Amino acid sequence: MKDVFRVQRMWRPRAKLRRRYDVVIVGGGAHGLATAYYLAKTHGITDVAVLEKSYIGSGAAGRNTTIIRANYRTPQGAEFYKESLRLYEGLSVELDFNLLFSQQGHLTLAHSDRGLITATERAEVNQLLGIDSRLVYPDEIAGLCPEINLSQDATWPIVGALYHPPGGIIRHDAVVWGYARGADRGGVEIHPYTEVTGIERSNGRVTGVRTNRGEVEADVVISCTAGWSTLVCDLAGVPLPITTHILQAFVTEPIKPFLDVIIVSSQMHVYISQTDRGEILIGAEIEPYTTYKGQSTFPFVEYSARHTLELFPQLEPVKVLRQWTGLCDLSPDYSPILGETEVENFHVSAGWGTYGFKAAPIVGTTLAELVATGRTPKLIAPFALERFYTDTLVSELAAAAVSH
Amino acid sequence: MRLGPRPGERIDRSDEVTFTFRGKPVKAFGGDTIGSALFASGQRIFSRSFKYHRPRGLLCCSGHCPNCMMTVDGEPNVRVCVEPVREGARVKPQNVRWWLNWDLMAVTDKIGGPFTPVGFYYRTMIRPRRAWPLFERFLRSAAGLGRVDKHAGRKRRFDTENRHVDVLVIGGGRSGVEAARQAQIRGEDVVLVDEGPEPVERLGFPVLWPARAIGIYEGNLVPVEAGSTLVRFRAKHIVVATGALEQPLLFPGNDLVGVMLPGGARRMIELWSLRPGRRAVVLAGDDRALALAGELEAAGTEVVRVVDLRREQLREIEAWGRYGRLESVSLDGETIACDLLLASGARQPAYSLLAQAGARVEYDAKRGIFVPADLPDGIEAVGAVTGRVGRVAVTPATFNGASRTDKCFACICEDVTDKDMKRAIAEGFDSLELAKRYTTVTMGPCQGKLCHLPSIRLYARETETDEATIGTTTARPPWAPVSLGLLAGRPHEPAKRTSMHDRHKDLGARMMWTGAWRRPHSYGDPEAEAKVVHDSLGLIDVSTLGKLLVRGPDAAAFLERLYPNRFADLKVDRIRYGVLGTDGGRVMDDGTIARLDEELFYVTTTSTGANTVIEWFDWWNAVWGFGVETTNVTGALAAVNLAGPNSRELLGRLTDLDVSNEALKYLDAKRAQVAGVPCLVLRIGFVGELGYELHFPSPHAEYLWDTLLGEGADLGIRPFGLEAQRILRLEKQHILVGQDTDSESNPLEAGMPWLVKWEKDDFVGKWALEHVRERGPREQLVGFELAEGLGSVPAEGGQIVVDGKPGGRVTSARWSPQLGRPIGLAWVPSRLAHEGAEITIKMNGGFEQGRVRLKPFFDPDGGQLRS
Repeated sequence: MKDVFRVQRMWRPRAKLRRRYDVVIVGGGAHGLATAYYLAKTHGITDVAVLEKSYIGSGAAGRNTTIIRANYRTPQGAEFYKESLRLYEGLSVELDFNLLFSQQGHLTLAHSDRGLITATERAEVNQLLGIDSRLVYPDEIAGLCPEINLSQDATWPIVGALYHPPGGIIRHDAVVWGYARGADRGGVEIHPYTEVTGIERSNGRVTGVRTNRGEVEADVVISCTAGWSTLVCDLAGVPLPITTHILQAFVTEPIKPFLDVIIVSSQMHVYISQTDRGEILIGAEIEPYTTYKGQSTFPFVEYSARHTLELFPQLEPVKVLRQWTGLCDLSPDYSPILGETEVENFHVSAGWGTYGFKAAPIVGTTLAELVATGRTPKLIAPFALERFYTDTLVSELAAAAVSH
Repeated sequence: MRLGPRPGERIDRSDEVTFTFRGKPVKAFGGDTIGSALFASGQRIFSRSFKYHRPRGLLCCSGHCPNCMMTVDGEPNVRVCVEPVREGARVKPQNVRWWLNWDLMAVTDKIGGPFTPVGFYYRTMIRPRRAWPLFERFLRSAAGLGRVDKHAGRKRRFDTENRHVDVLVIGGGRSGVEAARQAQIRGEDVVLVDEGPEPVERLGFPVLWPARAIGIYEGNLVPVEAGSTLVRFRAKHIVVATGALEQPLLFPGNDLVGVMLPGGARRMIELWSLRPGRRAVVLAGDDRALALAGELEAAGTEVVRVVDLRREQLREIEAWGRYGRLESVSLDGETIACDLLLASGARQPAYSLLAQAGARVEYDAKRGIFVPADLPDGIEAVGAVTGRVGRVAVTPATFNGASRTDKCFACICEDVTDKDMKRAIAEGFDSLELAKRYTTVTMGPCQGKLCHLPSIRLYARETETDEATIGTTTARPPWAPVSLGLLAGRPHEPAKRTSMHDRHKDLGARMMWTGAWRRPHSYGDPEAEAKVVHDSLGLIDVSTLGKLLVRGPDAAAFLERLYPNRFADLKVDRIRYGVLGTDGGRVMDDGTIARLDEELFYVTTTSTGANTVIEWFDWWNAVWGFGVETTNVTGALAAVNLAGPNSRELLGRLTDLDVSNEALKYLDAKRAQVAGVPCLVLRIGFVGELGYELHFPSPHAEYLWDTLLGEGADLGIRPFGLEAQRILRLEKQHILVGQDTDSESNPLEAGMPWLVKWEKDDFVGKWALEHVRERGPREQLVGFELAEGLGSVPAEGGQIVVDGKPGGRVTSARWSPQLGRPIGLAWVPSRLAHEGAEITIKMNGGFEQGRVRLKPFFDPDGGQLRS
């Protein structure tokens, strides 16, 4: 309690950039900071610099819609995110920072028998792997979310849903700050407003980076730059099979508690939750075109509003407060690209599509382990960049896009 | 406190309107807003603040600040200061426990302050972990403003309109009106929109009022909220004349009821003839505010002190009050009793729309404001929004808090105090974007209109930098909150219906969605329908198939290169099955391709894949530069499948075409009149029995459907739906793309290696498929069956378990009435993909054994189809 009264610095003031570090992490988002944190805490590797071109958490970590879940379709994905969810559950205590993790449950609606098939498949995979996930039908949905429109007269009547009780929402900025504080206390240096402009190699091995604040030598360089992965990896001569798209979201003005479960409808490309502040947070599927232009579009709010009101007609008078856009790296199979590359000691966390934030703790743990031991942890082996050469893709996409 | 009639007032004193506030009637005049009428009735406290539940009163009277938000007729967060009165409206305060003047939650202000500094929730309630859900429930219930009626449906009707204009002027002040007038003189098609509350001078050009531009989006799209209509403007030229916004001063007690922005008080007098207070002190930051003193006197308010902040720097301002209402103000130690304190810093250009459109925002140190720069093409700014109007003056400091008796609010929406901001900086949130996210300053309902500049100032001062270095945060749409109802427009989702739709309805079909199509699931008894196809004759509407004509000298070469199998050697009047692949060799769609003549092919696609296939064809046609034209005839043609042993008999009765097995072989395509309708007759067999697909112009659909059912009555004909078709195709192990395949399936592993013609020079995806061939199959799509006695069917999506782990999956499964057992298709590891292999399926909460079957369950050699 005394912490409440005392003003404590979260991290040290910005310092001078040194000329050499053991490990340089490009990207001060959730993945980069988590990796730095676990490097210091678990492995005692503290000569680490996190370089961020803007402020920490300025990219996808601060723009996502904060949903945490593990009910993935592929066994590889489900096992990976199961571990991530477990780490998230203990993260507030671990970081001694309340991340406001609200495990209110997650419902992925099915509006057709095709939707039910996908839901069934996920439930079955999840159950075999010990993830709390099951099919529910309208009767039970009514109990879990009495506000939702279950009428059969709806354009897309709800025929069932995949229910994932431990799924939840979290305060995304707090995750970034919590990891940043933990990393800083562990001795890691965090350098905001430090942009990497080149990656140095010699004999197929990474040797350092160039930045707008000078050159830095490093034994290991890790790229954690969702949205800009292809550009950063290009600097290292590592081509990635990734396209970059925008993903949009908006919040409404705060209202009193209305919705206590996360609702996703992939048929209608909309997902809806209510934050602890009372805002209704609404997002959609990624835009189909590739761009780096982070300008919000109006058709997005229009169709998202229309679909939201199909599910919750009561929200008609609620007002949209703010819309924004983030970048998503999309890989061909909708699964991430994680771990080693053909350039020795240059590791990558990329291709997260719309799933990156959910993976921050497990990415941090596994990448830190990779750096510390030189071996790829089993959990992330299926997501190696190499899979695009060996054709061992991990299809998270199913037939229809099922994200968030 | 209504004044006597005044010239120019908006109210109509002959028009009495009554609404209720907390159930009690309130009298108002036409032209009043709910806010002005409540003020006239003596109400001074209009809301309780977000965090500390402090009493708040009218501040801006322009619909921008959060102070007057109430619930009106069930609609939460209504800014009543600009909401016109309506007869019988029910108005209620919100975010209050008990009553506006006695809010139980106000305890958070009195004693909670020290315990709840900025970000307190990040540092507390962490342990024990189990207790967090309880804390959270409390936090959630304390947060939020208005309440939504959980049981309400959609109530209002909203419409959408599209308008194209030469010039759209946003803002109806002097500069906006002048810009519109000039455009009109130039002969341009101009519309002016203004959000009010002041009326706009009308000079002959069209004016939308009150109407609010929501944003400026790409392509000069400006959505405008005009009552219940959303007008989407596309303008060649946009003139932004949104003016400037008065910025509050920061001093202790700056949120007391009675502290107002000068413009708010002016509107009260001018529009609604209200006396804003009895004794006023004016702290003016510009000439407009200075001029208000005279107006106040005329309205009967005693002006006890006027300070021109540009000439006289005050070191210390402090407002005092009781029960949240202003009683006095102390200026550099001199205490003055007053119930109205009009205070403002400089006016900040309302540049949000310009910034959204892509303009840069820079700090003008001389004027002490942020101004727009580098406007994008087609967008112009005029008047006060440019920040370059009026004389340059020393900007008064917005921050004058020194004495620490009461809170000093930087952001009234979110109850962020100067102390909170300082604390955030001290904790290390040393950039404005970080501080915004930590303190939530500028993230409330006013969108930063009243707190952006003051918070930047405060930041500059605390971090000992300047405003230019700190910069602004990104301006995000919408300009002002806009309801989901307006954005959604009328509830409308497109659904496609076939030209036989009503016949299915008449026959009592249960309809279902397939993509955007509505199709009959069944007509009551799918298993019986499947049986009829095997025993006699069935009829199904397959109009939803995508249908394309591919025409041109290169048509054969084009298809040859697109598909993994051969089409160049396909003879005229013959049909071949084709699977379309991606560059990655993945299955994308499937269908039949009939060659109608040398240069003309008729391609069918899956029901949901038509658009993708057309785009795919057009893409490659453009890439390769072939002489090919593709025409989508999906809607123009209807189609039915006539299937069953009696289908030849019925077809023969209705056409002159020789339908004998010799003349119309399996996979023949013939054009013929059937019952007088010009048809393309395709002899194919998706459902496994002898059958003919008839494709014909849609207008004849009901006639042909009726004729086939009528003429086939004695042959036992019966319509069948999608469900029966699924059973039948599964008996043949015919796949459904998208159900039996996913985004990574390739034809080699999906049980169709015979389809891939390696000897072809090239085809889309060949390279990738060669890789698959090299590495060998890993998992394969196979048929499977369960023991005869087993009544239940595995779930589609169910898992094949190998060593206790997910090892494969069931993609399709049905009970086959023909075979008397459950059958299906499943992906299994390659080592299990051989005839008779045992597989373990997770079902019924346990596990069942199935057996792999590689050949079709029904008519494995296709004899039935060919006979």
